[in-house]
Amino acid sequence: MTNPQRALEIENLYAGYDAFDVLNGMSLHVGASERVGLFGPNGHGKTTLLNAVSKLIRPRSGSVRFMGENLEQRSPQDIVAMGLVHVSQANRLFPDMEIMETLELAAYTPRARKQRKANLEHVLDLFPRLAERRRQEAKTLSGGERQMLSIGVGLMCAPRMLMLDEPTLGLSPKLKDELAAAIGKISAEGIPLLLIEQDIAFVLSLVDRMYLIDHGEITREVERGGAVDHEEIMDMYFGGHASS
Amino acid sequence: MTMDMVSAILVSGLVLGSVYALMASGLSLVWTTLGIFNFAHGSLMALGAYFAWTMSDAAGLNLWLGAGVAVAVAGMVGVGILIERTVIRPFYDDKDILLITVMTTLAVMIFLEKGIQLLWGARLKQLEPLAPGRVNLLGTTISAQETLIVVLAPLLLGGLWVFLRYSNIGRGIRAVGQNPAAAKLIGVDVSKLFILTFALSAALAGLTGILLGSVRFITPTFGAEPLVKALIIVIFGGLGSLSGTIAAAYIIGVVEAVLIFFVGIYWAPSMLFALLIAVLMLRPQGLFGKSVR
Repeated sequence: MTNPQRALEIENLYAGYDAFDVLNGMSLHVGASERVGLFGPNGHGKTTLLNAVSKLIRPRSGSVRFMGENLEQRSPQDIVAMGLVHVSQANRLFPDMEIMETLELAAYTPRARKQRKANLEHVLDLFPRLAERRRQEAKTLSGGERQMLSIGVGLMCAPRMLMLDEPTLGLSPKLKDELAAAIGKISAEGIPLLLIEQDIAFVLSLVDRMYLIDHGEITREVERGGAVDHEEIMDMYFGGHASS
Repeated sequence: MTMDMVSAILVSGLVLGSVYALMASGLSLVWTTLGIFNFAHGSLMALGAYFAWTMSDAAGLNLWLGAGVAVAVAGMVGVGILIERTVIRPFYDDKDILLITVMTTLAVMIFLEKGIQLLWGARLKQLEPLAPGRVNLLGTTISAQETLIVVLAPLLLGGLWVFLRYSNIGRGIRAVGQNPAAAKLIGVDVSKLFILTFALSAALAGLTGILLGSVRFITPTFGAEPLVKALIIVIFGGLGSLSGTIAAAYIIGVVEAVLIFFVGIYWAPSMLFALLIAVLMLRPQGLFGKSVR
C-alpha cells in the first residue's frame, strides 16, 4: 500500500485521551508537494490527529507513514528529525526565552543544525517583525507575533513537511492576511502542507484539496475549485436538523 | 563596631553564601526542569564527601585528593542517574508527581543516610583541604579552603549559567522546563535531558560536600542543614529562577552571618525562617520570582 508519491499517509487511525477515542478510523493522505486543508468543528479530532501523528499522544491503532516510512516505532524527536514538523495550536513556546534564542534552539536535530544559518535568514526574511524584536522574550509577544514565532520555529526544524494547527487562531483580519501570505510563500517552495483552519475561505485560498472532519472521521473531500456545499457545513456545525 | 568585625561578618557570609549557592542551584535546576523537589539533595552532598574521603584518606585508598574529587563527581553522576531512573521516572505522567516524589526522594534520603552509616560508620570524618594554609581576605584571616570555596562557587555557577544560556543542550534543558510538549516538537529528547539535569544537580551536590568536607566534619546527616537552607533559598529567591536562587543564596549567607554575630548560632536559624515568612507575606512569588498566573 506504500505510495512513494505521498508525503503523509494515514490509514484507519484510532487515537484519543484516556478511555475516549477522538479519532474513529481516520484515513487521509498528503501528496509529495501537495497542500491539504483540514476543516471541521472544534472537538472533532483535528488537533488530536496532529498530536497522534507527531506522537505527543500514542495512537491506539492504525498506521501513519511519512515518506513511505512507518512511524509506529518512532519517538516524537525521531519524527522531527525525519522532517515531519508539527506547529501546534496557540503554542506559548518557551515564555522566558528570547526570540533569537528560541529560533536558534529550534534547529536542534543534527540535520536542522546544518541548515541553521540559512533557515534563520529565511525566517527573519519571512517575518521581519521577529528580526525587530529579536531580544524580546516570547511571553511578551502579541498573539500575532507568537504565531509568527511558532511558524518560524517550525521552519527552523528544517521541515520536509509542515503541519500547521490553526495558525491564525484569534488574529485580526489584517494579521491573518499577513500570515496567509507567509504560509503561501512557504508552500510555494514545494514543502507539503497539512493545514488546520476554522476559516473556510482562508483554507481554500491556500490549499489544493481539503478534507471535512466530523466526529473523528473524514466525511468529505473537496478539490480546489470544487464547490463546498454551504448546507453541508451548516449541518456539521448545527446538526442535521438545523437546515431541514 | 569596628571594620574588623564588619569584614569578619562579610567574609563568613560570603563563605556561607557560596556553599548555599552551590547547593541551592542544583535544587533549583531540578525544580525548574523536572518540576520536583529533591529531598535527597543533602544526602547526595554527604555521599559525595564520603566517596572523596574513601579515595583520598589515609584510612581509605590514600590517593591524591584530586582522584577523590574526580571519582566522587563521577560517582554522583551515576547515583543521580540511578535515582532518577528508579524513583522519579516512573511518575512523570502522574499528575501528583510533585507529592509522590516528595515521598520517594525523602525515602532515598533516609536510605542514603542509613546506608552511609552502615558502610562508613558514625565516626566523624574530615577531608584534607584541597587548598592548605590560611589566607587573608578583606582583612580577615580564613582558611585557604574557605577562600577556595568563595572563589570556586562563582566560577562553577558562572559556568552553569553560560552552559544553560548558550549551549544547545543547556538551552534544551531550559526549554524542557518551560514547555515540554513544545520541546518535543522541535526534536528535544525530553527524558534524556531530565536524566542529564538530575545527574548534573547530583554532581553539584557532591562537589559541595567535598568542598565543605574539609571545613566541617563529615557525618551521615552532614547535608541536612545545608539542604534546609537551600530549600529556604530556592523559595526565598523565587521558584524557577536560577539567578534569583544564586542571589538569594548570597543574601541569606550574609544575613545568617549577621544574625550569628548578633543573636548567636542558636537563634539564627529561627530568625531566618521568620525573615522568610515576612518576605513571602509581602512577595508570595519570592524575592526575584515572577508572579504566578
